Amino acid sequence: MSDTLHVTIKVNDRSVALDVPLTETLLTSLRDRLQLTGAKRGCNQGVCGACTVMLDGVAVRACLSLTANCEGQSVLTIEGAGADRAIAALQDAFIEAGALQCGFCTPGQLIAARALLEQNPDPSVEDVQKGMSGNLCRCTGYNKIIDAVRTAAGKLQA
Amino acid sequence: MDTGLFRPESVAEALALLARLPDAKLISGGASLVAMINARLADPAALVSLAGIGELKQIAAAPGGGFRIGAMARHRDLAAESRFSGTLAVLQMAAAQIANSTVRNMGTIGGAVAHADPGLDYPPALVAADASIEIAAAGGRRQVPAGEFFVDWFTTALQPGEMVSAVHLPAARPGIGLYHKFARVSGDYATVSVALTLVREGRAISTRAAIGGCGPTPLMVAEANRLLSGDPTAENLRRAGELLQAAADPVDDVRGSAEYRRMLIPRMLARAFDEARLRAGAAR
Amino acid sequence: MRIEGNFDIAASRDAVYRHITDPGLMARCVPGCESIEQVSPTGYRAKVTISVGGIKARFNLVVEVTREQPPGLVLSQTRGEEGSRASVLSADNELTLVELDPLTTRVSYASEVSVTGRLGKFALGVMKKKVGAMGMEFADRLREHIQTQAVPPSQAPGSAA
Repeated sequence: MSDTLHVTIKVNDRSVALDVPLTETLLTSLRDRLQLTGAKRGCNQGVCGACTVMLDGVAVRACLSLTANCEGQSVLTIEGAGADRAIAALQDAFIEAGALQCGFCTPGQLIAARALLEQNPDPSVEDVQKGMSGNLCRCTGYNKIIDAVRTAAGKLQA
Repeated sequence: MDTGLFRPESVAEALALLARLPDAKLISGGASLVAMINARLADPAALVSLAGIGELKQIAAAPGGGFRIGAMARHRDLAAESRFSGTLAVLQMAAAQIANSTVRNMGTIGGAVAHADPGLDYPPALVAADASIEIAAAGGRRQVPAGEFFVDWFTTALQPGEMVSAVHLPAARPGIGLYHKFARVSGDYATVSVALTLVREGRAISTRAAIGGCGPTPLMVAEANRLLSGDPTAENLRRAGELLQAAADPVDDVRGSAEYRRMLIPRMLARAFDEARLRAGAAR
Repeated sequence: MRIEGNFDIAASRDAVYRHITDPGLMARCVPGCESIEQVSPTGYRAKVTISVGGIKARFNLVVEVTREQPPGLVLSQTRGEEGSRASVLSADNELTLVELDPLTTRVSYASEVSVTGRLGKFALGVMKKKVGAMGMEFADRLREHIQTQAVPPSQAPGSAA
C-alpha cells in the first residue's frame, strides 16, 4: 500500500481536495481523478506540449508537475478557459483557419498561444514559431496554427 | 515520517532532511526528475522540494562584478537576463536555447547542473564562462570550478547529502560570449554544441571554447584554447578543431552517431569562432 | 548495439582458456557482477549491476554457451531483465583467443546486444558507453589475475630467490 498525500489545489477556479501518491503527475490527477481530459498525455516527457496547462498564471507541462508539489496553487485547463477573451479569440481563429484536424494537440496549442500573446501581443511569424516551438502537431503542418495565432492577436488588439 | 513531500525553508533544513532521509531526492523545477520518474528511471519514496527557499531564487550581482545565481533560478529568467553582457552572454544564450518556453518556465539551473545530462546546454556554457558551482553540505559551503564539477556520465562532484546551492559567474570581460547548438529539431537536446568566450586584449584575443554533447562532460582542451588565442591563423583554427575532435568521446544514439558528432566538432567550432571574432572586431 | 574489443594477456592460450571458462573467476572479473552460478553443463545464471549516475540497474541474466571450440572459441547467448522487466536484454556473444606467441594470447570479444524497455528507450547511448567501459575493466581484471597467477611461486615478490 503506498502512502497518499492530501493536497488542496484550485482547478479552474474551484477548490479541489485530492489524495494522491507522491509521484502522481498533475496530468494524471486532472485526467483520471477530475475527468478534465483536455490536457493530453502525448509523450509524458515534456517534449510534445499536449499536456500544457497554466499553473499560477504560467504555462507549464502537467506531465512534469507533481500534484503533491502543487499545494495551494491554481491550475487553469482548457475546460476552464472558455470565458477567457484570448482563448475565445484563439478558438475562433483556429476554427476559421483550419488549424486543427484530429484535435489532440489543440488544447495545449491554445494554452501555449494564450501564454505567448500575454508576453507578446503582436507576434511575427518567427515569434510564433519560436514562442510555440514546444507544441508539436502531427496533422496541420503548423502554418495554419501560426496564421490562427496571428489572426487572434490582431482581433485582440483591435 | 520517512516518506512524502517535504518543504524546507532554508538550505540548512534541506540538508538536515537529506541526512535524515538518505533515499529522498531533491526536487527543484522537476523538469528532469519528473521526466525520469515518468520513464521509470527514478522512484523516490520521499521528495524534498526546494521551492520554499528564498536564497535559492535570487540572481544577485556580486561585489566586484560577476553574479551569484541561486540554484532555483529558472531557465526563463536566465534567458532574459540582460545583465549577462560581454563574455557572460554565453550563459544567457545557452539558457535561451533550452527546450522551449514552457519547459523554460519550469526548469532550473541547479536542477539541470545536478542532473548532469551530457546533452544539456548549461555545462559547456559554464565551462567556457569559467563559472563555479557552489555546493552546500552539512559542514559548510564550497565552490568547485565547472570544469571539475562535471565528472562523468550523469555524475557530478556532489557527494551524498550535498546539494547545489548556487552557480557563480566571474565578472564579465569585455568581449563576446556565444552558444551555438546543433539539434535535430528546435528544442531538442544538443547533438553537438559549442560555447565560446572571446576577449580582446589589445591586438590579441583570449579564447575559451567548450564542446557539449560529445562526451561524458563538457570538452575543453587547453592547447586548443591556446591555439585560438593570441593572433590565430586559419591553420590554428583547423588544428584546434582536430584536437577537440580527437579528445571527444561522443555517444552513438538517435540524435547522431559518434562519427557524425565528431565530424561536426571542427565545423561548429569554426563557425562559432569566426562569428565571435568578427563581432569582437578582431577579424583577421 | 555492438560492443567489441580486444586485449592481450601474457599467458598461454590454454591457460587463458581455462580461466575464462571458470565461472568463479568470471564473477570476480565482470564489473558489477554479484554472482555467477552454473545451472547446467552449458548454462549459467548471473546477477550484474550496471550503474549510470543515480540509476542502478540490477540485471538477472541467463547465459547459455552455444558452442565451444577449445582453446580458441566460445559462443554464447545472454538473456535477462532488470527491475521486474523494466528493461529486457539479449545478447549474442563471441569470444576468440588467438595465440600471438606461446606466452601471449589475444582475447577478442564481440557482442550484439539489444536492450528494450526503460534503459533501451532513454539511455541506450550512455549504456553503450558504460558497457564498453565494463569490457575494458573486465580486461584489466582478467589480465591482472592471470598474469599475477602465472608468476611461479619461486619468483613471486617477497619469496626467497
